[in-house]
Amino acid sequence: MQRIGFKQANILLMLLLTIFIFSLIIEIVTHTDVVSLMSNIVSGEIQFAVRLSLITSVISTLLCMMIAIPSSYALARYNIRGKALINTILDLPMALPPIVAGLGLLLIFGTTATGSYLEEMGLKFVFTPLGIIVAQFTVNISLMLRIMRSTFEGIDPRYEYVAQTLGCTPFQAFMRTTLPLSKNGILAGSVITWSRGMGEFGAVLMLAGATRMRTETLPISLYLNISSGRLDLAIAAATILIIISSVALYLFERKGGVAKLY
Amino acid sequence: MMGMIEISDISKSLGNFELECINLRIEKGEYFCILGPTGSGKTILLETIAGINEPDIGSILIDNYDVSSLLPKDRNISMVYQDFMLFPNMDIRANIGFGLRFNGSKLARSELNEKVEETARMLGIDHLLDRHPSTLSGGEKQRSAIARAIITEPDLLLLDEPLSALDAGTKDRLRQELRRIHQLKGTTTIHVTHSFEEAFNLADRIAIMNEGKIHQVGTPDEVFRKPNSTFVADFVGVENLFHGKAVMKDDLSEIKVNGLIITSTSPGDGDVVVSIRPEDILISKVPIDSSARNSFSGVVSEVIRMKSTIKLLIDTGLLFRVVLTKRAYDDMELSQGSKVHLTFKASATHII
Repeated sequence: MQRIGFKQANILLMLLLTIFIFSLIIEIVTHTDVVSLMSNIVSGEIQFAVRLSLITSVISTLLCMMIAIPSSYALARYNIRGKALINTILDLPMALPPIVAGLGLLLIFGTTATGSYLEEMGLKFVFTPLGIIVAQFTVNISLMLRIMRSTFEGIDPRYEYVAQTLGCTPFQAFMRTTLPLSKNGILAGSVITWSRGMGEFGAVLMLAGATRMRTETLPISLYLNISSGRLDLAIAAATILIIISSVALYLFERKGGVAKLY
Repeated sequence: MMGMIEISDISKSLGNFELECINLRIEKGEYFCILGPTGSGKTILLETIAGINEPDIGSILIDNYDVSSLLPKDRNISMVYQDFMLFPNMDIRANIGFGLRFNGSKLARSELNEKVEETARMLGIDHLLDRHPSTLSGGEKQRSAIARAIITEPDLLLLDEPLSALDAGTKDRLRQELRRIHQLKGTTTIHVTHSFEEAFNLADRIAIMNEGKIHQVGTPDEVFRKPNSTFVADFVGVENLFHGKAVMKDDLSEIKVNGLIITSTSPGDGDVVVSIRPEDILISKVPIDSSARNSFSGVVSEVIRMKSTIKLLIDTGLLFRVVLTKRAYDDMELSQGSKVHLTFKASATHII
């Protein structure tokens, strides 16, 4: 009798939590009727936000991939002095509030000699769309590194050894064995990085600011419209973000393979 | 024919493993076994010869050419691992052809295909070419890995415990296959194993390795008959192993070894290795009238005292190792030079 009570209490709490989360989503998407939701989604401002979010998140995901693959390979394969410390530092952006990472970026690019030098070269990050890409990259690179590191750690290095004895340079051996074998990890990492890039807010706000029709990504649009009382537009932006997150989560669960998030 | 290997003063430390001043010279066309327990550094030595690890000090010469600083791809070697390491993202055809596609030989597609099929036929796996590695049995996988290794006609073939992951029957067949391929191709081969039987069977010469050091190098008979340290003796001295010529007589085989005829219930024909476990041999001061088929007389040539047992070396023309308890040894009043009789059953005599 007491055992049944325990079991039922656990299940009840779990069900309440599920209902709570589900109703959050339903509340947003049903707040306006379908016709006005659609017309808001195709409005100029939301279309701009969708396009900007798509472009910046795809570029920042590609950047993450280009940096994370070699770096995580180094962490997975080589004996490096101080690896534990390096790992902790590289994991930090994942644990840090994005707005703090954004502050760091703002200080680096806005107040240092490096920042002014880059600006002279034409690379202006503060309050620009370029800043959005850098902010997304900085916040998401740790996650991509972790996923790729655990992917590479799951692949026996001796595939590459065999390929090397059969005529490949170390780089060719990697390209022909380990890289194709890690395609699930790469796919999972890209999907999760891309969807988090689409939704990144805090770091983007700090570095790129929130300028309507200039640095207005979907989350920034949501924030700007809520601040100015345009609830319908805010809901349109939120609905698109919900759809993207759901698809990304589904793809990640399907393709995650050996990669684990945390 | 190429492939004389000279390894001079190789030292390497890698994680918990260490190679200490390894010196080996392997002749052209030789089948050389490196024998040692797990963790003795055999695999690191092999991977260092392959060029996957760079030695901390020392040099490796192939045909008098120093390859120590070359990439693995420029050493003209091939490697086969215990767990096959077939590329899971390719079918068997692509696996076997891998080396020909990427070693710069620039063969036409038809030529490449022909070579792949020829090599696969040689190993009896030509019907598996379009299958994926995950659908193959252990023996088929290892045949594929061997095909992938020999198709590039390397100067040196490196085998890392190639038979250890296989079941007993497959192991025997593949061991014969390795011998056949070696006779056919004459490729210099270094085969790493922890099984003395395997080394005794295949090797022209054996190196015994432990804790990163080479303890002894010699022919299987030399190493077995004259171990130069207690480690080698303990590692190899567990069995009576003899090379001989077998003929079948009725259901039994008779193996002629150094003039002695040993009878066995295992079938055998031609050149074989026989093994008799020391504890299966009965020792007596007078001949025993029994059903056992093998009975020889000899002289105790050495007495080795172990923790709880006594090991005797008995010279009957062949040197037999026999183990008996201290009590039995005392009761029989044996000593060096005693005349004794050995008796063991045909069913205790194994052909390997």
